[in-house]
Amino acid sequence: MKAILMLEDGRSFSGEALNHCQEAIGEVIFNTAVVGYQEMITDPASSNKILVLTYPLIGNYGVAPKFNESRRAWLAGLAIKESSRIYSNWQAKSSLDDFLKKQKLPTIYGLDTRTLAVHLRHKGQIRGIISTKCFDPTTLLAKIKNSTQLKDKSLLPRISVSKPKYLGTRNSKMKIAILDLGLTNSIVKQLERLGLGLTVLPYNTTAGEILRLRPKGLLISGGPEEDAGLKEVVENIKPLIGRLPILGVSTGAQVLAAALGAKIIKLKLGHHGVNYPINKPLSYKGDITVQNHSRAVDGDSIAKLKNVRITGFNLNDHSVEEFESKKLKFIGVQYIPVSPGFDEVNPAFHKFLTYLKRSR
Amino acid sequence: MPRRKDIKRILMIGSGPIVIGQACEFDYSGSQACKALKEEGYYTILVNSNPATIMTDPEMADVTYIEPLTIEMVIKIIAKERPDAVLPTLGGQTGLNLVFFLMKQGILKKYGVEPLGASVKAISCAEDRELFKRAMQEIGVGVPKSGIANSLEQGMKIGLDIGFPLILRPAYCLGGKGGATAYNKDELETALTKGLETSPVHQVLVEQSVLGWKEIEYEVMRDCADNVIMITSMENIDPMGVHTGDSIVVAPAQTLTAEEYTNFVNLSKRIIRRVGVSGGGANIQFAQNPNNGEIVIIEVNPRLSRSSALASKATGFPIARVATKLAVGYTLPEVMNQITGRTTSFFEPTVDYCVFKVCRFTFEKFPRTERVLNTSMKAVGEAMAIGRNFKESFQKGIRSMEISRYGFGADGKDKITDEMLENPNGGLLKLIKDKLRIPNDERIFYIRYALKAGLTIDEIYKLSYIDRWFIDNMKQLVELEDEIKKFRNDKQAEEIKIPSDLLERAKKDGFSDRQLAYILNAKEEAVRELRKKNNLKPVYKLVDTCGGEFSAKKPYFYSTYESGEEARPSKNKKVVILGGGPNRIGQGIEFDYCCCHASYALKEEGIESIMVNCNPETVSTDYDTSDRLYFEPLTQEDILNIIELEKPIGVIVQFGGQTPLNLAVPLREAGVNLLGTSAKSIDIAEDRKRFKKMLHKLDLLQPDNGTAFNFKEAKEVARKIGYPVLVRPSYVLGGRAMEIVYDESTLEKFITEAAEVSGDHPVLIDKFLEDAIEVDVDLIGDGETFVIGGIFEHIEEAGIHSGDSAMALPSYTLSKNILDKVRDASYKMAKELDVKGLMNVQYAVKDEKVYVLEVNPRASRTVPFVSKVIGVPLANLATKIMLGKKLKDLGFTKEIIPKHIAVKESVFPFGRFPGSDIILGPEMKSTGEVMGIDEDFGKAYIKSQIAAGQQLPKKGNVLISVRDRDKRAIVFVAKKLQDLGFRISATSGTAAALERNNIKVSVLSKIAEGRPNILDSMKDGKIQLVINTPSGRIPRQDEVKIRSQVILYNIPYTTTISGAEATVNGIEALLKKDLGVRSLQSYHKKMKNKK
Repeated sequence: MKAILMLEDGRSFSGEALNHCQEAIGEVIFNTAVVGYQEMITDPASSNKILVLTYPLIGNYGVAPKFNESRRAWLAGLAIKESSRIYSNWQAKSSLDDFLKKQKLPTIYGLDTRTLAVHLRHKGQIRGIISTKCFDPTTLLAKIKNSTQLKDKSLLPRISVSKPKYLGTRNSKMKIAILDLGLTNSIVKQLERLGLGLTVLPYNTTAGEILRLRPKGLLISGGPEEDAGLKEVVENIKPLIGRLPILGVSTGAQVLAAALGAKIIKLKLGHHGVNYPINKPLSYKGDITVQNHSRAVDGDSIAKLKNVRITGFNLNDHSVEEFESKKLKFIGVQYIPVSPGFDEVNPAFHKFLTYLKRSR
Repeated sequence: MPRRKDIKRILMIGSGPIVIGQACEFDYSGSQACKALKEEGYYTILVNSNPATIMTDPEMADVTYIEPLTIEMVIKIIAKERPDAVLPTLGGQTGLNLVFFLMKQGILKKYGVEPLGASVKAISCAEDRELFKRAMQEIGVGVPKSGIANSLEQGMKIGLDIGFPLILRPAYCLGGKGGATAYNKDELETALTKGLETSPVHQVLVEQSVLGWKEIEYEVMRDCADNVIMITSMENIDPMGVHTGDSIVVAPAQTLTAEEYTNFVNLSKRIIRRVGVSGGGANIQFAQNPNNGEIVIIEVNPRLSRSSALASKATGFPIARVATKLAVGYTLPEVMNQITGRTTSFFEPTVDYCVFKVCRFTFEKFPRTERVLNTSMKAVGEAMAIGRNFKESFQKGIRSMEISRYGFGADGKDKITDEMLENPNGGLLKLIKDKLRIPNDERIFYIRYALKAGLTIDEIYKLSYIDRWFIDNMKQLVELEDEIKKFRNDKQAEEIKIPSDLLERAKKDGFSDRQLAYILNAKEEAVRELRKKNNLKPVYKLVDTCGGEFSAKKPYFYSTYESGEEARPSKNKKVVILGGGPNRIGQGIEFDYCCCHASYALKEEGIESIMVNCNPETVSTDYDTSDRLYFEPLTQEDILNIIELEKPIGVIVQFGGQTPLNLAVPLREAGVNLLGTSAKSIDIAEDRKRFKKMLHKLDLLQPDNGTAFNFKEAKEVARKIGYPVLVRPSYVLGGRAMEIVYDESTLEKFITEAAEVSGDHPVLIDKFLEDAIEVDVDLIGDGETFVIGGIFEHIEEAGIHSGDSAMALPSYTLSKNILDKVRDASYKMAKELDVKGLMNVQYAVKDEKVYVLEVNPRASRTVPFVSKVIGVPLANLATKIMLGKKLKDLGFTKEIIPKHIAVKESVFPFGRFPGSDIILGPEMKSTGEVMGIDEDFGKAYIKSQIAAGQQLPKKGNVLISVRDRDKRAIVFVAKKLQDLGFRISATSGTAAALERNNIKVSVLSKIAEGRPNILDSMKDGKIQLVINTPSGRIPRQDEVKIRSQVILYNIPYTTTISGAEATVNGIEALLKKDLGVRSLQSYHKKMKNKK
């Protein structure tokens, strides 16, 4: 079935639809990673976005439940060049097509994703619509325009746990609280490997409620960035700064920075991929990181704060990727602290662990 | 950290001649390194024995030595030049081994030379099997079960303990040389013996076979601040068991999950850190069990490699350039990414296309060798293709191979027809299954046959262990072909009926117009017209290192059928240069050298240069060689597409060898302006009749000749002109299927074979001039002025392919009278053909008469060699001539006859093709060349021999065994050897002849005469030099065995009398005086001063 992806600037791309009669509207972002489609699709941080994968061959290794980052797909839509007819990997349980159908995820394929990505690069953040029933530009543009009104509605109630959930080592002396703004399994797995006890809390849990749990520290997870519900979270955690070691991850880092009084800015073109270099200031040493963010902590406003240091910045556009306060015992990591492979844990968590150990 | 200021002079060691396993990728990495060092202001000293390289151009390094790559010679260079540091990682295994030995012998220390990028420790860790295994276990990286054998007994025990099948890998050998798979005790014994002999340290790794596992490669880089990046992953479509250099490869890996991908990166980072590369790159090869994901490491190359060249071209990331910068102290964040111009090299390249690499084999040159692939590399070249899906890059890759295939079958060239495959009989099915099971160079085509014969993906997988994902992609192509076939025309003249959306799908999946024409029973031109009518044209996309995230500054393109055009041609004056495609025997680096020079010359003239080529190993496909680079197959369709888009003022086909030349006619017919010598002149040179007429007109001689379409005609022609005759098909590349025939029965056999090769083309028959001296001339002309670049005298007699002969420049025995005749003939022909550019002529000189054998109005294999010897860049000048300049303006009007002498020697791949005979003939067999340069012939010759890997002895035993007609000539050689202090051994016949001439000879028993025999003496190291001339077309068994022993034990040898004479000459020179070293720049300077 024919499908169209129309952008709010009027540029359109035609392709085929994988699922029937769908319409999806969202901000269009592109991710340059070659593998990891299942993880990207199920990452709540990309909720309501239309994700374009620049690597053209998708679905080659199928899908398996163990690679889900959360319980479902959160994207508004998916745009790919070619969907593999068969999958081939010993771990695969089903095809990507079947998975997408089950998830009812509007998917357009067969379009020129390269030209689309280059266009997005020039235009910056832009919204778009995937449609299989309407191909009239005026109608489609109107639909995109009208959809912006939905912006005030928070997704967090749907994404976050509705009541506390306990994970990790049950009797661990090292218990932490996690504010679930869109927590992903790959983060949970690493925390479990560190032997932590995890209490996953609804996004709107208050400071008082958190302190009553007597956690050793707090982790604020990643999640959608421009969500109306984040304001409440920022207010909630303000009293916790300095009282608990805090690790803010991705959007969680933005929440932490906002609570500190720093500004959050919109990037012209977000960072979505697995090859972003970050560097420590005044050093030649850096890391290659996985990133998925369209906004970032404003460098000037965080540099002005007392006791806070920027410890990592993106080497290409110099946006803030990591900040830390030894005194106030918090770390903000804008990148996604993924496992560096096998059972290893990202250094960000090790650092957090030393703070946890030092706290009473 | 900023670059190091404590070092000023850096020595670079190249990789020597092109051999299997070490091709022009090291010229690519070496020249990138030279440029990078120059950029940083270091004084660079370069040594390489290969004159056909860009890196040995006198402008590349500050001082260039074309000298043999041996420890002795390099020490001399170090003593003379006193470098502060050496870059060991850019000269392939040859360069690395040399530096490693220099380190171990304390020579680097003695002269205060610091190795950059890789320490002794790092090299030993990667190269020493035992250290490597231990290191890998230490960091938790799985290794196949294995043991190190230093002797046969030890190896047998290890092998039997591990169990079959087993892989054997000799230590310190490049390209898996001597490597083998053993399925039983007998095979183990044979392979071990050979492996121990092959390894310079007599060590073989006996290893558990992981046959059928996935082979995954990663390219990683690390700087001195411990930043590590991954450049790309690669997945070998041929699973474990086939050498990675022989495997078809796709980049990035296609069948790994994100988690597996990360795990591989993790292991790669652990490995590069543990091995200790601290300012450079490494290639890491893994095997992965496809059923449970288990990973073992196969090997690490702590240097630039063939794979790193491929990875560079596949991603746009210049690994060699960056590695060089890291070696001199920079960190990755400090080195800019030239492609984007605004990001740094500290990132991991990502791609939004699929890259396919396919290998080029030349089994047809070695008919006695079994056509199978294993762990010993056999490919002589490779082609790369880029597409937006696997199917597109796969089909583009196949048509880039220069094997006259236009995609995944369906091009009228399939060995097995669709009709046969519809109801395959048992024999055919068995053949197909065998071809799937036992890796071979035609396997992909047999997958197609298997799919057509109804085998399932699973069945094919279980036979080949090629991942199902790839097989399914191939199946999609077969299905699409079937769909297209429904619209097949009954008559070719009919209008094509294929619906436009189906046509579009076919183009998106890489079908060529030629394939579509075949499937649809139409003319290729008609398909092209139809495409244009439907506005179905390719667009060109950028290779940008970043998946479109940043804008790219370097115009490096590939074609695909999509919507967004990124090529945006300029309005500048521009010229398209057609490259040579994959390396093969007969067409190698020499032509790439010429193409690069064409590009440099265009730049100097202010004209935009556009390169089209598909060989990832080359300098020509480096993104900054030309103004624009199109990485595309060299077929009419692909080239016309580019020309229609770019609208150049002209196209250069003279430089890329036979590949672009074959396209000259169709391009001209399509209205393309070909620069240089007119197509009419090219035609005269190639058309036998017109050529004969021209020679007649110019009053020049030619050996008697004739043309025949069948055996009967051939017989008559041969009788008329008299045996021996040289026969060959009319369509020739590198002397393929050419033979000297002495009698009628051999002639009959040849005609049947040749007719098969060349279809309905006639067979050409020439009188063969026995014992003639062959002479090559390279000439340059602008239509008015013609200047000889060089007159080369072949050392081997006429009848041996000029690409295989050793040759001297200037000539060393020819009289002035003969040379003047040669000059005169050359100028006459050049004038007659109105040469605008380069021309090469081959002559045979016999009885004071000069016969014209062949004229090629184009760049020849010897252009780089002569350019280096006389210090004039002929290809560069020729390009300027094509643009309208005159030799007068360019300052080259007189032949330069150098006072020094240079000898070009060829290098052969016999060691790779067990069973093949090492005798030379009209069929070219060499893969590469070296140059020896010195003040006299003897020294230059011996340098060329040493550079070619022949360790000519100063004393010892010489085995002589020659055919009857050589027995008179050999006496002189033997006598001289005796005078020089050598002992002579001979077979009985030869011995008798020598004894009659008062030479002391010990007679060695023939193989049938019991042991110890000749072979035993060779094996025991009692023979230091072998002189053996072949007895005829079907050689005696003894001879073949002697000659194969020579290869096995690396004994210096010669198979011609003239070669033997030159060798003795060389040995004499060697005994008289030690060899010195002298830079190319100094030779050139001396020449200029003389002028």
